[in-house]
Amino acid sequence: MAAPVAASRGFGLGRPGWRAKRDVVRTVFLARIRIISRYKGAILMEALLPIVFAAMPVLLGITVAAQQGGGADPGQLFCDRTRVNGVCTTNFKLYMLIGAATFTVVSLMLWLIGYWVRREQETGTLESLYLAPVRRIWVLAGVTSYAFVRAMIAFVIAITLGSVLFQVNPFTGGVGIALVFLAIGFLPLWGLAFMFGAFIMKIKEADSVIQVLQWVLAFLMGVFYPITLLPGYMQTVAGAFPPTVMTDGVRASILDISYFYNSMYGSLAVLFAMALVVPLLGYQVFEITERRLRRKEGVGHY
Amino acid sequence: MDTIIRVQDLSKTFTTKERKKGQKKRKRVVEALKDVNLEVFAGENFGLLGPNGAGKTTLIKCLTTLLLPTTGTAWVNGYNIEKEEDKVRASLGCMLMGDRGLYWKLTGRENLDYFGALYHVPRDVRTKRIEYLIDLLKLEEFAHRTVETYSSGQKMLLAFAKALVNDAPILFFDEPTVTMDVPTARELRRIVRALNQEEGKTIVYTTHLMHEAEELCARVAIIDHGEIIALGSPNELKSSHVREDVVRMEGLLPPSVVERIRSIPGVRDVTVQAAPDGRASLAVMCSNSRHLLPRIIEAATGDGASIEYIKPQDVTLEDVFIAKTGRSLAVDTREIVKEVAGGGTGRG
Repeated sequence: MAAPVAASRGFGLGRPGWRAKRDVVRTVFLARIRIISRYKGAILMEALLPIVFAAMPVLLGITVAAQQGGGADPGQLFCDRTRVNGVCTTNFKLYMLIGAATFTVVSLMLWLIGYWVRREQETGTLESLYLAPVRRIWVLAGVTSYAFVRAMIAFVIAITLGSVLFQVNPFTGGVGIALVFLAIGFLPLWGLAFMFGAFIMKIKEADSVIQVLQWVLAFLMGVFYPITLLPGYMQTVAGAFPPTVMTDGVRASILDISYFYNSMYGSLAVLFAMALVVPLLGYQVFEITERRLRRKEGVGHY
Repeated sequence: MDTIIRVQDLSKTFTTKERKKGQKKRKRVVEALKDVNLEVFAGENFGLLGPNGAGKTTLIKCLTTLLLPTTGTAWVNGYNIEKEEDKVRASLGCMLMGDRGLYWKLTGRENLDYFGALYHVPRDVRTKRIEYLIDLLKLEEFAHRTVETYSSGQKMLLAFAKALVNDAPILFFDEPTVTMDVPTARELRRIVRALNQEEGKTIVYTTHLMHEAEELCARVAIIDHGEIIALGSPNELKSSHVREDVVRMEGLLPPSVVERIRSIPGVRDVTVQAAPDGRASLAVMCSNSRHLLPRIIEAATGDGASIEYIKPQDVTLEDVFIAKTGRSLAVDTREIVKEVAGGGTGRG
């Protein structure tokens, strides 16, 4: 249907195109980095969290082993109880550290997006974003890139400091394969972050959701244990959750233990499929949610 | 004149749920806009006038694609608000939320750069545009500081600059002077006028301040309870408004003058207060002082009469609003017009 109004008078100084989209991703990314850099010490503090998080089960394991008497080795005890397909690791400290560090990555990716949506709603900047002609995918790409960098900084600091503190060597196994798992694992994580952001935008609450989700995540991901210890149906649920496959892959390749999907290729294939499907699904969910909100009270309603 | 914005039978309904003590949850339906039809011409400074809760902001939010209409539609700059959202957005510069919508941990300059990028303004063009706006709005003093350190007025100025960063052909300003001091608000109105008259921008300006609408807008739509109840130039609206006006006159006004004024069609009554020095003070009651003033002045000349003071009691847009609705513009009219699930219907 032809618009019953005069022809367009142009878009002012706006010049849409690929260069403009790239510029949006870059500008959003830099703005987020600038903002976090103005909260002194925030990045360092969150990098210490996984070390504290890993220290708890490590100390508990040492205590339990000491109570067994006879100079029981906590690593051997852990290995005996977590053996899968006849394979296990005695390096339980590194097992915990990797679990805690990847959990921090997942958790940061999700809650940085969740908090971002909520904060933008509260300050009115979400409405400002929706007034602009830029597609949400490019803004989200900027924000998730920032979340990725921040999560990676936390991961690297946590692994480095944790390795020194726990006296473990993270470069024992297939570090390259672990990085591949981490890299592919980020893609479905983005998709999950979009879904999570959409959920926060709809319910207009971030804190309590994040608090609950942290523990559900930790449970499903098997942060401190192999998910093969879970009952059968729960293993299926956990195995369909991309961060679980990512954590399992990183850990299995570094510690040379068995993969949840039997082989490295099996796990990589599953994670790759998730990397293809989940981001598209996540963005679709985000778009549907925002359209519904615009039908109702608007995205900026807080 | 080319129509640059056309609103066609646009309605917007909000549904909310509310629970009162001891009662079941009620679904409440608020009809924020009811079959609004409107045209804004290219290069026009168009005012939307109405009290809080009248539907001004909802209409603006629909036109700027922040809200989807329940029924009806609109075209902005030739693009449909539902089907060509990105093109509609690219055509607009908006200041809708006062000093909200800024990043407090970024500086003023960084905020402008950020939003310039979101409007796809190339980086080199953006840098020059930002410097131009900083100069135009006199932001130099604080543009390098983070927004959290700004006063309300400074935030409003930055939000105004943000609306201009993409140099769009259509500008939406929703009560832009609301927290500004008097000189800053005056300066901002001067800039708005210049944007319209010198740069040919189409401006949609919402306000509940009559003097702003009268000063800036070529045409005004008065909106109440989600409906356009009057539309026209401020003068048309005022002159179409029939009411009892008073014209006060002082001077040497002999009885023959009084009789001549009394005989003018439309003059209802003339009261005279005579002073001992021969001067008189008249109060001319008439149906439309603006319309009759030239004839009253004509009648008051001759026979040795001399007018020292004359003042028609002006009809204001607020008078028009009161005449149409029975309420003042200052009254908040947010209301529930329908209650579903056990609720009755009705206003108020």
